[in-house]
Parts: sequence; C-alpha cells; structure tokens
Amino acid sequence: MLFQVEDLVSGYGKIDVVRSLSLHVDEGEHVGLFGPNGHGKTTLLRTISGLIPVNSGKIFFRGEDITGLDPRKIVEHGLIHVPQGNQLFPEMSVQENLTLGAYVARTTKGKTSNFEKVFTLFPRLKERRSQRAQTLSGGERQMLSIGVGLMGMPELLILDEPSVGLAPLIKEELARAIGEIATSGVTMIVVDQDVELLLGICQRLYLIEKGAVSLETADVSQVDQAEILEMYFGKVTE
Amino acid sequence: MTLEAIVAIIASGLVSGSLYALMASGLSLVWGTVRMFNFAHGALVMIGAYAGWYISNRGGLAKVLQPLGKSITANSEDWGLLGDLLHPLGEWILSIKGGFGLLAGVPLAIIFCGIAGYVIYMLLVKPFVGKPGADLVVIITTIAGASFLQNAVQVLFGPRYKQLDRILKGPPVEVLDTAIGLQEVLIIVLTPVSLLLLNLFLKRSKLGLAIRAVAQNDDFARLVGINVNQIYPLTFVVSSMLAGLAGLMLGGLFFILPTMGSEPLLRAFVVVVFGGLGSLPGTIIGAYVIGLIEQSSAYVFSLYWAPVVLFATLILVLIFRPRGLMGGENS
Repeated sequence: MLFQVEDLVSGYGKIDVVRSLSLHVDEGEHVGLFGPNGHGKTTLLRTISGLIPVNSGKIFFRGEDITGLDPRKIVEHGLIHVPQGNQLFPEMSVQENLTLGAYVARTTKGKTSNFEKVFTLFPRLKERRSQRAQTLSGGERQMLSIGVGLMGMPELLILDEPSVGLAPLIKEELARAIGEIATSGVTMIVVDQDVELLLGICQRLYLIEKGAVSLETADVSQVDQAEILEMYFGKVTE
Repeated sequence: MTLEAIVAIIASGLVSGSLYALMASGLSLVWGTVRMFNFAHGALVMIGAYAGWYISNRGGLAKVLQPLGKSITANSEDWGLLGDLLHPLGEWILSIKGGFGLLAGVPLAIIFCGIAGYVIYMLLVKPFVGKPGADLVVIITTIAGASFLQNAVQVLFGPRYKQLDRILKGPPVEVLDTAIGLQEVLIIVLTPVSLLLLNLFLKRSKLGLAIRAVAQNDDFARLVGINVNQIYPLTFVVSSMLAGLAGLMLGGLFFILPTMGSEPLLRAFVVVVFGGLGSLPGTIIGAYVIGLIEQSSAYVFSLYWAPVVLFATLILVLIFRPRGLMGGENS
C-alpha cells in the first residue's frame, strides 16, 4: 500500500471538519473523491500536505508515518498537492512558476526533462512561458497548477477540483491531460464534483460526507453511472 | 528659477530619493513577504552608520585595540614560541592605528547589519509569527527594539556626533555650472546599482525566487516545498543589509547620531504607502518622486513647508489610487 489515512481528525481551530476519515491508495492506483461542498474534502487534502495540523489519527506514506510533518518534508517524500482554484504565484511568469515547482532537492536532477514533459502535455504553457500567471485564462492557470505539481516529480499526485469553473471544451482538454498523466503511471488522488470526469480516470471512488467516508466503490468498472449518482443524490422516488 | 537651481534641486532630490529607495525597498520586501512592518528599520540604518564608523575610523575599533597591540609587542619576547607567533599580530595592530578604512568598514558594516536583522527577527518577530494580532504586536516589539538600540548606542559611543570619512576625496563635480559633491554623486550612482543587484537576486537566484514566491502566495509556496520559516529571517537579513547601506551613505553626508534613522524611516513609510504596499518597482519610483518633491518644495517654499507638500501629495495620490502608485490587487 502506497498511502494510507487512518481515523484522521482535523479542522480549523476548535472545529473539526474531517471527522475520523480513513482511506488508502495502492501503488499505481487512481482514486477519486467526491461529495457535496463543505464536507471536508479540501480540508482533508490540506491536512495530508501538512498545511493544517492533525488533531488525531495517522497518515502513512510507503509505510512511513508522515503525520504532522512540515509541508516541505511531505513534498520531499514526493507527495504533491495541487490545490484548488488556480493557486499560483500570480506575478511570476509561467516559466518561473514551473521552476518553483522543482524547488526541493529531489527534483533538480530531472528538471530539464520535466519541463519538456509539462510542455508536451500542455503545449499552451510553452507558448505562454514568459507570460505572467495572472494574465492566463482559467483553463491555462489550471494547466499551470498541474504543471507545477508535475515539476515536483510526484509519487502521489493529489489534484483538488481540477475541473471546477471551466468551460466544457477546456474541461475535456484537461480531463484528457489528467488521463495521460494517469496512464503514464503516476499514482493519483483526484477530488472533483464531476463524477463523470472521475469515472474516466479512477479505479475506485470514495464518497465523502460530513468529514468521513460514507461510501466506497470497490471497482468503478462494475458500477454504472446511475448507481454513483444515486450514491451522491440519494434514491430517486417517484 | 535658474538652471543652476534646477540642477541643484534634481541632484539633492536624487540623493534623498536614493536613500529613501534603499530604506523603503527593505521595508517593502519585509512587508510583502512577512506581512509585517519593521519599525526597527531606522535603527538598523543607524547601526550601519555606527558600525561603519567604528570599523573604519581611527577613533573606533583601531583605538580600542591599540593597548592590546602595545602589550603584545612589549611582552612577546617573554612568551617564547607563542610570543614569536603573536609578535607580528601586535605589530599589525599598531600599524592600523589610523583605522581599518572604509574598504573594510563598508562591507563589514553591511554584514553586521544583516546579522543584526537576523537577531531582531529571532527575538522580536519570530515568537509572534502566526499568532493572532501578530502584526500589531510586532509594531510594538520592533519600536521597543529600536529604542533599545538607540539608547545602547548612546551609552556605548557617547553623545558626541560622528562622521564617516568621505569615500571619494576631491573637488566637486561640475554639472551645467552647478557643483555637486562627490559623495552625492557616489550615492546617486551606487543606489541604482545596488537596487539592480537586489533585483537580480530576487529574479535569478533560487532563494530570491523563493522570497517572491512566499510574498505572492505563501500557502502555495509551502506546497512546492519552500521552507517559509527560513525565508522570513532571510528577508529580514536582506532588508537590514539594505538599511545598513543606506546608513553608510547617510553617515557620509550628515552627522551620525543615535536617532539619525527615525526621520528617514518616517519618509520611507510614506514612500512604501505612496508606491504601493509590497510593490518593489512602485516603491523605488515612489522614493525618487518623493525625494524630488521634497527637495523642490524645500527650495520653492521653505524647508518647513516641504513635509506639508509631501503629505498633501500623498493624500492626493491615495484619493485617486488607494493602493498607491503601483499597488496591485495582491498588494
């Protein structure tokens, strides 16, 4: 098992948002998280990457206890979190943003080839490499966010709502790119509201409600979409 | 207004502008990154001047060391082998009784200021980072620190004013029939060079890039693995070294005294607000604009009216551009 969260509790101040949540990800697996807004998905990811302290519970990566480590240490383990909503360095160029993605020592060796990888995956970023991040379109910014994550040579890539607020065409382009990253063998956790997007990428899904896993699908290929939607919205009664 | 007067105003405006630019860019850097104002910044200017004087001047460190040099040279014969080794050291100390000179004084003073900035961060800022109300608490702690430093210097160096030696000696330069002192010319030339170096550091070096990253989005900076707890003190060190440089320039123009940093600090705050909080280009442009406004209004009206004109301009700018000249949405 590559990654495991055990009975995790965390939140802001005295308020727990993630309430005893457990999940696991195997090597090479792509796992989707979905569920209503405000139920702790983003808080979970921020806790995993060390931005928010853990109140109780454990986080393991490759069997090693990484609970409560500094974000920098977690990045050095290869656990890369691409946050929600175009989190970038707005006044820096595309190139500078990507350069900072390869900040930790582990990533300096592969920097040149990773630049190439990112630019092949997102040719638009190559065109706009000297442009400031804040002048990019929403879709391009999301591409850059993911690009910065890839520069960190992820062993586990965590994407938070990559498709949120994007026009359908761009969403498709982005979904294709994420699919390519997935097939290249990067282990991933993807959080998104768009279950269809998740079904296209992931082998397993978790439904997160009230800060805990309320349902887990064993194998996506054996569940059909209607069932997932039922999990999400409840049974439709006439 | 004669041409001569215009040249003189521009020259003195550029000199004050340079000093404000050096001070304000440090303040702005710290604000942009740590989101706090360092009120001990003026004291660091003063420390830079005193450190420069102490190392370079014959009345400073060299004078303190003379008795040591004398006792070494006088007694080394009785100390055997150790004495033979120490004898040249004693001779050397005696030979530098005229002071170590500015060549040593300037770089060492700047390094000393960097260290002082680090100490100020560790003692007065770090304990409060991330705590509620930290920005207000740090205003008080740094004011206290500044006051402590001013009084410590007063006790250590006495009330007599000091002055740095001129770096360039010689007759003033004639520009369009107007005489401009060499020290002034040096300041006008050296400041843009230092600011350019600062810019290169921020744009090209890994640590400079990290400083800008933390300033623009500290959460995301953490997520790419930047050690924010390391970047904060680094920013203080860089900012304090700039303050030290400003102090060395100021100390070559005017007298060195414990409160010498207070007045320029106030101006530097005006510059930072005027130029746009956290915007380095805005701060630098603002510094020169304010230097020129100040000097021209001092000439046209009088010295006492200069602050009035200055603050009136500030108010006007803030009415039309509440975030300052170049303050963007992220500032």
